[in-house]
Amino acid sequence: MARPSLKWLAFIVAAGVAAGAAGCASSPQFAANSEPIAANAPASKVHGDISVWSWNIAAQALRNLTPAYNKEYPGVHVDVEMTGSRQQTRFMLALAAGVGAPDISQLQNTDSPHYMATDQLADLTAVASKYQSDFPPSVWRLCTQDGRVYAIPWDIGPCAVFYKRDLFKKYGVDPNKIDTWDDYIAAGRTILSKSGGRTKMMTLGENDIESFYEVLLQENGGQIFDANGDIAIDSPQARQALDVIRRIRQSGIYSDVAAYSAEWLSGFSDDTIASYPGAFWLGGTIKDSVGKGPGAGDWGVFRLPALTPGGLHVANWGGSVLVIPAQCPNKQAAWSFIQYALCTRQGQLTQYRTEDLFPSFLPALKSADVDARDPFFAGQQVGRLFATDVTKIQTLNRTGTWAEATGYVSQDLSHWGATGMPPDEPFLSNLADKMHRRLQTPIAPAATASNAPTARPAAARTST
Amino acid sequence: MSELRELKLRRAQAGMNGASPAGDGAPATQASQSARTSRFAQIVRYRHFYLFIAPFFILFGLFGLYPLIFSLYLSFVNWDGLTQMHWVGLANFVQMGSDEILWRSLLNTLIIGLLYVPPMMILAFVFAQLLNAQWLKLKAFYRAAFFLPCVTPMVVIAILFSLIFSTDKGVINYLLGLAHIAAVPWLTSEDWSKISIAILVVWRWTGYNMVLMLAGLQGIPRDYYEAAEVDGASTWQRTWHITLPMMKPVFQFCGLLSLLGTIYMFDEVFVLTNGGPGTSSTNFGLYLFQLSFDDFKFGYASCVAYSVAAFVLIATMVANRLNKRESEEAL
Repeated sequence: MARPSLKWLAFIVAAGVAAGAAGCASSPQFAANSEPIAANAPASKVHGDISVWSWNIAAQALRNLTPAYNKEYPGVHVDVEMTGSRQQTRFMLALAAGVGAPDISQLQNTDSPHYMATDQLADLTAVASKYQSDFPPSVWRLCTQDGRVYAIPWDIGPCAVFYKRDLFKKYGVDPNKIDTWDDYIAAGRTILSKSGGRTKMMTLGENDIESFYEVLLQENGGQIFDANGDIAIDSPQARQALDVIRRIRQSGIYSDVAAYSAEWLSGFSDDTIASYPGAFWLGGTIKDSVGKGPGAGDWGVFRLPALTPGGLHVANWGGSVLVIPAQCPNKQAAWSFIQYALCTRQGQLTQYRTEDLFPSFLPALKSADVDARDPFFAGQQVGRLFATDVTKIQTLNRTGTWAEATGYVSQDLSHWGATGMPPDEPFLSNLADKMHRRLQTPIAPAATASNAPTARPAAARTST
Repeated sequence: MSELRELKLRRAQAGMNGASPAGDGAPATQASQSARTSRFAQIVRYRHFYLFIAPFFILFGLFGLYPLIFSLYLSFVNWDGLTQMHWVGLANFVQMGSDEILWRSLLNTLIIGLLYVPPMMILAFVFAQLLNAQWLKLKAFYRAAFFLPCVTPMVVIAILFSLIFSTDKGVINYLLGLAHIAAVPWLTSEDWSKISIAILVVWRWTGYNMVLMLAGLQGIPRDYYEAAEVDGASTWQRTWHITLPMMKPVFQFCGLLSLLGTIYMFDEVFVLTNGGPGTSSTNFGLYLFQLSFDDFKFGYASCVAYSVAAFVLIATMVANRLNKRESEEAL
């Protein structure tokens, strides 16, 4: 009886020593599991069952991928579980319990910093760091912490504006001439007045202001937290973004229909909304909703308006990553699947073709698949448009408290929108104070310095 | 009635015969012996019965008692669910004092409660009275119809009410438009969001309270009404002097359910406004959810939950005491 338990103990000690010697950062309680992943393990030697938690079309995309993956790795059986709502919460509970997590899990890329900060994810640095240059720097940053890699980028959400060609044509608006948000608002006014007030340019309900605000902030290099994780929300860039939102709301070109409500979805098929600024994945939602109904084949996409002439036309909205929890017993097999799905052209392109997941893997974006003409968008090369400048996307610095912090930003922006958008000065400094109080995070000195009332939006910082 | 009398009679006879009430005529000596044996031995002896009732206690211990005690412990720590817990003593309780969103959410909870409980109770009582009326046909149909909203899945209700309350395309604003009343921003204004939630709650829970009140009405003996009628009491007098006093326990029960329902109301707010615009409709239940599952502050969330639960418990006890004194004085 004593012999097997001693053996087991000896193994733990040995593995613990090995992990310690290797300077492995994973927590000691999972030392027994942390066999290093071999970078060049022959495919025939990798075997076992792995389970993957994912949701929605993303899960479907992985399922579509498994036959091709199994041709290379016949010894691994992949079970993709479509886990439904609040998967991330259940994943967190499984991490906390130390058991019950899948071998691979999807996370929203904005949430990955919170999970990385827990030391419960497998360190992939040894096998994954060589892929750094294959991904846009903005998303790669969301996968690393203190120079270690804990997640691999999956899809990204580059932004543009989806519009209805027939409405633009009817009211004489040329989408190619929309360069800045000023142009966009002017076009919106034209459409609004020519339609007798019936057709609004976009939707921007109170509860949706925050997402839009994040898009604008990325265009002018603004931040919510600075590189040190201090609160930097009270800035000239923030004022510039708020100014755009205020002008959109005051011009009356928006509808306050809440995003993803039934009437928002019905707006795809009638003439009440002319355009939808959004990420690539919104196109999938539009296609699903419109189907072969009115408007199919008559949609178009133009690039995201810049804040100033010559400014950036890109921002990211959404996207996700795949991670391996530290408790996973077969990291080698799990990694082989992630590597195939996310770090190969065929893996990412299969998912792009079948489920419209926009690849973050840059070599995949060079493929001719991305140049395909989409009949839904009247033959426009939509993929290429979204792929333009993805490497220039400026990320927002994420912190472990990101979800909570953006919750406060969202609350206050919604209040700001619903109460007639009072001046920015007290609004932004009050928001910074609120975040400071509740997150117990210092306010960045630079942000306070730019607090002077004379500071007006400087020319947008561009990285071109 | 006659059965009960018969039973009493039989018991009385059995008593006269000198047999123990425990039955099967066990001799008195044996009974005193078993009283002397330890309680443990009794448990062992009756283990089958304990086994039969064990599932409830095991499940309750695992899913009721343990979380309850664990979350009391959590009130004194900082914990995000994943990393180490940090003992912070009473810091969480101190933090509550300066948590403006907590106070806002409690105020919102109170306002929403005041907005929906009175109309819901009155409507439930009126409908219960109508359904209890002799002349009404199709009673079962109406009963089912009124009860349906509280068994309808919340997702369906959410879609339905977001359409009803829509500013531009909603059916309420359409009807108001016909009456030349300006469109009301039901869900997009901080002034109206709480009212919209109250309307949804009234719609959803009136039927439930109505069923409770209907049961209460049917429990009032007909004799009282007949006697009052003979004495020449009007319908109004009968309602005021018989129905309302007899219904008091039912009202109290409905009131208690509504109090708890108000404090822990969650899904109605979650699906309709998600607390917005701003924090104008963030109620206590939603705030607790945000604290735990958006912000991952399990320690602080437990502390808030425990404090409010303690407050509600004390408030209920005080209310009960006052109530008791009042009714004693009335006697």
